[in-house]
Amino acid sequence: MNILFTCVFLLSTLILLFISPENFLSALLDGASRSGSICISLLATYSVWLGLMKVWEDSGVSRGVSKLLKPLAKKLFKTDDMQTLDAISMNLSVNLLGISGAATPYGIKAAQLLDKSPHAEYASSMLFALNATSIQLIPTSIIGVRVAMQSAAPTDIVIPTLITTAFSTILAVVLTRLLIPPKKQRDNVDFIRHSKGVNAAV
Amino acid sequence: MKFLSLLIPLLFLASFIFALFRKVKVYESFTEGVKGAIPLILSIFPYIAAVTMLTKLLDVSGLSAKFSEWIAPCFEAVGIPGEIAPLVFMKPLSGSGSIAVLTDILENYGVDSYAARCACVAYGSSETIFYIGAVYFAGLKRKKLTLALVIAVFSYLVSVVLCCFLCRIM
Repeated sequence: MNILFTCVFLLSTLILLFISPENFLSALLDGASRSGSICISLLATYSVWLGLMKVWEDSGVSRGVSKLLKPLAKKLFKTDDMQTLDAISMNLSVNLLGISGAATPYGIKAAQLLDKSPHAEYASSMLFALNATSIQLIPTSIIGVRVAMQSAAPTDIVIPTLITTAFSTILAVVLTRLLIPPKKQRDNVDFIRHSKGVNAAV
Repeated sequence: MKFLSLLIPLLFLASFIFALFRKVKVYESFTEGVKGAIPLILSIFPYIAAVTMLTKLLDVSGLSAKFSEWIAPCFEAVGIPGEIAPLVFMKPLSGSGSIAVLTDILENYGVDSYAARCACVAYGSSETIFYIGAVYFAGLKRKKLTLALVIAVFSYLVSVVLCCFLCRIM
């Protein structure tokens, strides 16, 4: 992203120097003010859904969903470690509810725990496949944006989105299963533990 | 499609009633959750701002028009409308950046147009692949995720083709 941003920025600035340098600053300010209005509409969306999610959390719905996902996680990730499974199922259930920002902390925790599991490479790749293809039931932020822009049918996109996201997730999971087969990698565990210790010391 | 507009109100209704049974203080709990929205927005605002400035520059300099001109034929060959090309490239890199690009598409072509619907589905059904790879697996020693990355990008591109097809028939 860093390289892309810098290169594209420089390139378009160079072109502007030749065609209309007086538009440079106004373009930047215009862009920045648009980002303000985008953030306001996102703030509205997040307020609604994060509020609901907290109610789910406090009434035990989230825990219920993550409990439901646990057997699946066990099968997919080939691990028995309860702590790892907890993190994975929380990550997956928050993802399912469509707020990937809230899923990140659990995902990072799961990734770190999986790194120590016997099938580390396979399990990490599987976690990545699930997270990178997005598994969500309600595309909340998209519906929010569409409502904000006064769409005639803001929820029109729900079913195509569901089909597409299910398809891409299944495709990625199957490919991962086929191309990165689970195999024992116990010999590396000590090395990982050691390097973790070093990281912590730094 | 009428039942879909019922989905969200029913979801809230069911959740709140269930919470009442569980003796959850709904108001306190809900507001506590809303509180989380501010830090979330604050954390993504800089990226959205940077990308909206960049896209504006791209527009003014005429680069984005040139780019779409080149890339649109390749996309249209597999059934993806050329208008959503910038989004398809942006989404794997940055979620907040692609929200900016998405908003552009919705504004330019109308929120209920074919291209806009494709853009919405493509956005909603995909994730920021490279960002997730960087964040989730940054601290790890065993980083053999190249193949996993290729799989994710491949699944993403196939799913974009599928989503444009679905938007045409639904």
